Formats: sequence, C-alpha cells, structure tokens
Amino acid sequence: MTRSPLRILFSTGSWAVLAFLVLPILIVIPVSLTDTSFIGLPREHLSLQHFETFLESPKWLHATWTSIWIGAVVAVAATTLGTAFSIGCWFLSDRAAMIARWVMIVPILVPPVVQSLGFYKFWVTLGLIDSHTGVILAHTLLGLPYVTISVFAALANLDRRLPQAARNLGASLGMTIRTVIVPAIRPGMITGGVFAFIVSFDEIVGVLFLTVRRVETLPKMIWEGIQESVDPVIAAVATILVFITLLITLFGMLRSK
Amino acid sequence: MNEKLRYWMLVLPGLAVMVIFYIWPVLNIWGISVTEPAAGLGNYTRMFDSRAVQVSFVLTFRIAAITTVACLILGYVVAYTIANFAGRVRPLMLGLVLLPFWVSVLIRSFAWIVLLGRSGLVNDTLIGAGLIATPIRFMHNELGVLIAMVHVMLPFAVLPMLTNMRGISDSYMKAARGLGASEWRAFREVYFPQTLPGVFSGGLLVFVLSLGFYVTPALLGGGRVMMISEYITYQIQEFLNWGLGAALSVVLLLATALVLLVAARFVNLRKTFLERSS
Amino acid sequence: MDTTDHAFKSDLAEIAAEKYKAGTLSRRGFLSALGALGLVPFLGDRAVAAPTELVVCNWGGQASDILRDLLGKAYEEETGVPVRVDGAGPSPGKVRAMVESGAVVWDLCDSGAGSAIVMNGAGVIQDIDYSIVDRAKVLPGTDLPFGVGNYVFSYALAYNPTMLPDGVPETWADVWNVKDFPGMRTFRKSVRGQLEGAALAMGVAKDEVYQFLDDEGIKAAIAKFRELRDNIIVWGSGSESQNLFLQGEVAMGNIYSTRGYLLKDQMEPGSFRMTYAGGVLQPGIWVVPKNNPAGPEAAMRFIATAQDPDLQVEWFKAIGNGPINPAAAARVPAELAAWNPTSAENVAKQVIYSDEWYGRNQVSAEELYIDALIG
Repeated sequence: MTRSPLRILFSTGSWAVLAFLVLPILIVIPVSLTDTSFIGLPREHLSLQHFETFLESPKWLHATWTSIWIGAVVAVAATTLGTAFSIGCWFLSDRAAMIARWVMIVPILVPPVVQSLGFYKFWVTLGLIDSHTGVILAHTLLGLPYVTISVFAALANLDRRLPQAARNLGASLGMTIRTVIVPAIRPGMITGGVFAFIVSFDEIVGVLFLTVRRVETLPKMIWEGIQESVDPVIAAVATILVFITLLITLFGMLRSK
Repeated sequence: MNEKLRYWMLVLPGLAVMVIFYIWPVLNIWGISVTEPAAGLGNYTRMFDSRAVQVSFVLTFRIAAITTVACLILGYVVAYTIANFAGRVRPLMLGLVLLPFWVSVLIRSFAWIVLLGRSGLVNDTLIGAGLIATPIRFMHNELGVLIAMVHVMLPFAVLPMLTNMRGISDSYMKAARGLGASEWRAFREVYFPQTLPGVFSGGLLVFVLSLGFYVTPALLGGGRVMMISEYITYQIQEFLNWGLGAALSVVLLLATALVLLVAARFVNLRKTFLERSS
Repeated sequence: MDTTDHAFKSDLAEIAAEKYKAGTLSRRGFLSALGALGLVPFLGDRAVAAPTELVVCNWGGQASDILRDLLGKAYEEETGVPVRVDGAGPSPGKVRAMVESGAVVWDLCDSGAGSAIVMNGAGVIQDIDYSIVDRAKVLPGTDLPFGVGNYVFSYALAYNPTMLPDGVPETWADVWNVKDFPGMRTFRKSVRGQLEGAALAMGVAKDEVYQFLDDEGIKAAIAKFRELRDNIIVWGSGSESQNLFLQGEVAMGNIYSTRGYLLKDQMEPGSFRMTYAGGVLQPGIWVVPKNNPAGPEAAMRFIATAQDPDLQVEWFKAIGNGPINPAAAARVPAELAAWNPTSAENVAKQVIYSDEWYGRNQVSAEELYIDALIG
C-alpha cells in the first residue's frame, strides 16, 4: 500500500495523541529522582532519597500493604460471586437473567460521589464505617461489574453443547462447572479478578467517605499528600506504580503477540 | 431440585449482595433528600433557587461535552490508525493506549499538577527556551481540568471505536476506490458511516463517566471549576448538609439516567456496557 | 486447641458496652462482665479508668509537630499520659463520620467557631467542663458551651513582593486593583473571613463592617468577588494556601496568619510579607468529640494545661498562634510582637470576627459566594 496523504495524516496524528497519553505519566520518573526537597527536575545529581523516604516510612508501607491485601480479598470475593452469577445467567439466558446482568453493572454508571453517599448512610447503620470490612464490601461491589462483564465475554465463546454433554453423562451441575466450564472461562475470570483488584487498589472517593483514621490506603495517602504538601515522595510512589504497570503492559503485549 | 432453581442459586448470592448493599443504599439517598434537615421537598426548592447549583450543573455538562468531543476526535485518529495502518507496530500502539488506562487517576492528576503549575515543568521549559516571558496559566482553571480529563477519558473512547473498526471489512473501501472515489471521499462516505456505532458507544461512555467525575476537577480546578460531584462533597464535608447533598445526588443520578435513555435511541447500550470487551 | 468462641465473646462485649453507654450497666458491672469474658486486657484504653494515651487532631504540617512537642510533652509531664497528634484535619464531616462509626479515635480537635456550631448542631461534640477548664484564661466570648478558645489567628493580607515589582498591596482596595497590582490572588473556599476584606475595599470603616454586611451589603461584597474572580485561586485547607505561595501560584491573598508566620521562614528572603491591616481576628476552638476514647476528663485537662500563659507564648513563638490567654500577651518577645495577631497594635488594625453575624448569615452568604466564584 502506498503512503497516501490520509495515511500520513492519521499516523502522525495518532503518534502525537499517544505521546500526549504516555509522556505526561512518565514525567513522574525524573521528578522522583530529584535531589531537591520540592517538586522539580533534578538540579545537580540524581538522588534516590525520596524512594528511601518511602521505603523507610511505616505509614506509607503500611498503607501500601493495606491496599494490596484489601485488593486481593476483593479480587477473590468479586471473582467468586461474579463467576457464579455469570454462569447462572448463562445457563438461564432468559429475560430475567438479562435484567439481573443489567443490575450487576449499575456501579459503572452511578457517579462515585453519589454511591459513596449511599454507602456511608448504610454503613453507619451496619457499623462498618472506618473498618476494613466496610471498605472490602464497598470495593467488592465496585469490582463485580467488571468480573461479570469479562466472565460473560468468556462464556459467550463457550459451546453450549459441552456442559450439556457432561450433564447427559451423569455429571452433577457442580461437577460440570468445576471440570468443564471453569477451565474454559479461566482467562475471563483472571481478567475479571485483575480488574477487581485494580478497581480496589485505585479507589479513592469511597475510601474518603467511608474511612477516617483506622483504615489508610495508598490512594488516600497520595490524596492527602497532594493536598497537604506537594512532596516528591508522591512522585517516588507514582514511579514505582508506573513501573509495575509498564512491566505488566509489556508482558501482556508480548504474550498477545 | 428443579434445574432452573439450581441456576438461580448460582445467580442469587452475587445479585443479593448487589441489591442489598448497593442498589438499596443508592435508592435510599432519595429518602435522605426529603427528610434532612426537615421532612419535605425543601432541599429541592432550595436547590433550584440556587444559582450556584445551576452554574455547577451547567459547568458539569459543558466540561463533560467538551471532554467527549475532544476524546472522540483524538481517539478516532488513534483507533483508525491502529485498525488500518499500524501493521507491525499495532501491539505497541495498543499498549500505549492501555498503559495510561492502568495507571490510577490520582497518579495521572498528580503528573498534570507537576506539569501545568505556574512554576511547573511546561512553564519552566517555555520560559527557559525564551518563548514566553511570564508563566501561562494552565492549571487552576477550566483549561487544566479539560486537559487532564481528556487524558483520563481518552482510552475509554479509543477502545469501543477500535472494536467496531476491527469488524469493518476493507472491501467496501477498496470497492469505492476501484470505482474512482478519492481516498478522502471513500473514507468520508463509505468508511466513516460504518464507524458511527463505535463513535456513539465511546462517546456515551466518556460522557457518562465525565458527568460524575470528582478526582481530577477537585485537584486541578483550583476550587473555581466546581463540578457537581465536588459541590456535593463540599456541602457534606464542610457543612454536614446531607439533605442538599442527597438532593443534588438524586438530580445527578436522574440526569445520568436521562442521558442513557436518550442515548438508547442511537447507541446499542448492550454492546456499550454489558458486552464491553476489555 | 483454643476452643473459645471469639466472635461470640466480642458480641457479648459489645452488648455490655452498649448497656454501659446506655447507663443500664454500671462501670464496675461493665468491667466485671468483661473480666468474666476474659476480655479486659484487650480493651486497652477504651474502658479502663486511666487512659493510656490522648489523641489530639489538628491540621497537619509543622503545626502537628509543634503541638506534640510542646503541649503534648507538657501534658505528659503533668499526667503521665502520652499525647499523639494526628494531622488529618478534623473537618465536621470527618468528626461526624467518626462519631457515627462508633469508634472515635480523636480525643480533642482543633476547630473553629463556625465548624463548632455546625458540629454541635449535628450532636457530635460534647460540652466543655468549666470546672476543669478556666474561663478566666481565655479571651472573653470564646468560652462557648460546646467549645473553648485554644489560640487566636487572623485572616490576613499576605503577598509576594518579588512578583509585584511595581508596588505592593497595603490595603484590600489594592488587592481589588488588578491594574496596578497584577497577579493571581488567593481567597478561602468559604466566606469565613473573606467578605470583611471586600467590605473594607469598598471603603467601609473597620468597626462598621458587620453592620454594613446586611442582605444588601452581602450582595455588594459578593459582587466584588464576582468582579475579581478571574484572578482568584481558592484554597481549601491552610496547607493548600501555603503551597500556593511556596509554588509561586499566587502573588497575594487572604490566608491564615499562622500559615503566614511559617511562610516568612520558608520562602526566600524578601519574597514574603504579611500585614494585619484589615485582617479578621478570630479564635480557634477546641472541641471534644462525643465518646472520645480517653474520656471527657482527660480531654478537659489537656485544654486546661494548654491554657498556661508560658506555654501559650512558646506556642506562638513556634508557629504563630496568638495567645488565647490574656495574661500571655505581655510575655511575647518584643522582636516578634509584630507577628502576634493579639498584640495591642495589631488588634487595633483588625476587624473582630463576629460569631453572631456568622450564625445568622453564613449559610446564605456561603451559597452566594460559591456562586460568584464558579459562575
């Protein structure tokens, strides 16, 4: 194919847009290496002092750990509930199941502040304010839509005759799910679980409403850090997170090849 | 046990959790709005009398609309290139679209604060290069909010459009070209109309998410670009004004529902939300 | 194997705690009930008579360190109870969330008169025990039933002379004069302490500010902000205002005098100045959340300790908090007197914050103000 003007226009344009998408994020890397105590590019030499501050701060480490384990619990809970839900809906495949699927994705559509307000009032009644359980429950609800969407996408590619054959051969429903369905939709479950983990790991508005002091998550520390004083430690945290994302994206890209 | 009942037993735990702990509390916001501080519709009359609320709603819709249009234009270019021209660099381009998607909104907003501030890196560079004498205000205004919002929302626009374009056969374009249409004309009259479902789908997603956005405007708006989510939070955190906050939430929720309802005429909602490929 | 049913036990303990709170179980009965369950050691500071620590919440930054090192240490020496300072910012929303969660962490919070009224209205703070706290050791009028003065601060006019080569603002009228004094201004994201400056800029005498600010006056003052709004960046928290100056985002603004006191040392020499002329003088208020963990008595004793005039002066020297105890004013070192919002000279230049006016007008003014800023 020849290099037509349209092609050149679109290619150049899209590289420019991709630069706009990616470069601003990468800026946190040089800033995290600054030798100054304020936000800026390194003046005289590169310094790892802000990474040291992060790694030596019990508060930051504790918040990081809290976010990781809450995210893990949420991923497991949302994947379990969401997978069972999707398999059930897939078997049913009727109008009621369709409505149920819509109900399940409502959290994607409701503005974060609005849902957090609803959580708050109900969590007060349940005694869940400022508790890890309260945050896990809220995050599980927010992760569920993503799990059901990706598990259902995997189920859509599954041949309906397979479970049917297993049932005909005398396998119970539970056994059919364990041995036939789950292995086939595992990629969808993993994607859903990863989504749920990330939703929880990044979630800030709910945490701001539902916690006060006993629960500190990484996003909350970053949020308070930005408001309190724009400190290069945040750039160090950001750099670590961007690097992890970069590695995972790279890994995903190589695998999809 | 009846077969159908067994399937419902699978559906029920997840559904029950969602209905009891999510749908019910969100519906209950209506209750707060008509009981606090006093029973009645006082919060709603107060809200519609307040110019601040009106201004905030207009601002919210304006920012959501501009963000949507900008994301669609920029996103279309990227999606089109990836679907048609990219060739060997396709995985790289796709990776670059997805990378920001996975970085938290908080981190991305922080990056923009670092870049756009009065003594931020963009201004420092421009001054250092002698291009400007005094710093330009990129942040603490609508411009800053828009730049960062477009950055956050762009992947949401690219992905549905890309899914759609990947399903379009290039034989139509080739046929049009074969019949003597210029490349531009073939694109405009043959290809573009076929991509409209993806465009609408991406646009709706961006618009709905933008309406309720909180983090980026709150951090980059300088307090003067107060979208409705921030207004609600402010009323509640500073003045414990739960009644007004709840009433505003109800209206925001209704506005979102209305947008979806109207959009349902042009957009396949099922494809946009339920069958979103990630 | 441990066969104790912990969930059941904690349930019983909770019931006992509820009853104790409701007053149907005496403290002795409560403790012995818990003792029977083998739970007393786990309860820590929540039920045992002598608290193991006292947690004071303020607004972060250096102010937290100073509070811990100065007042906290004094209290620990006096009572043996260590003090922990939490800089999380006790906004009314957070205090309410904490009280409603049933697990209050803060014993004492650094608040303001306006917020104290809001919190009292929501029923989340307790009354001050004036048999422990001394009314005579605070400025008259700051001994509210549900809160008591802790220090004095002002909303003051601060500016960065290096960003204003052609002259610096001396009055609020100058701040509104964008032509001769260009640059961004910062004001608070709330009317508190802000409308007064607009009234002064319109030529109102400082003692007549609140008389002027009736319905018509409020509208006029708000209109002044509307006029200026393209040059305004607002601050939500004190540290935010500090950052705006530190990062050169603004050339001038109306900020807490306590933040100005810190900025004078943080900014490059010659790039920060502050004047009390046309400032608004206001007390900060201690409030005690309902059901605070260390108990009301411990919190009241901390307040009483902090009233000591010498401590008040040390506190001012460290961070610019004007002494609330009238007896302390004379002990402030002469070279720092200019920074003391409560020195006679500075008081004479300022408007005295009117709780009464705010009680009447704040809610409606707040809405007009936000409207003027975001429109």
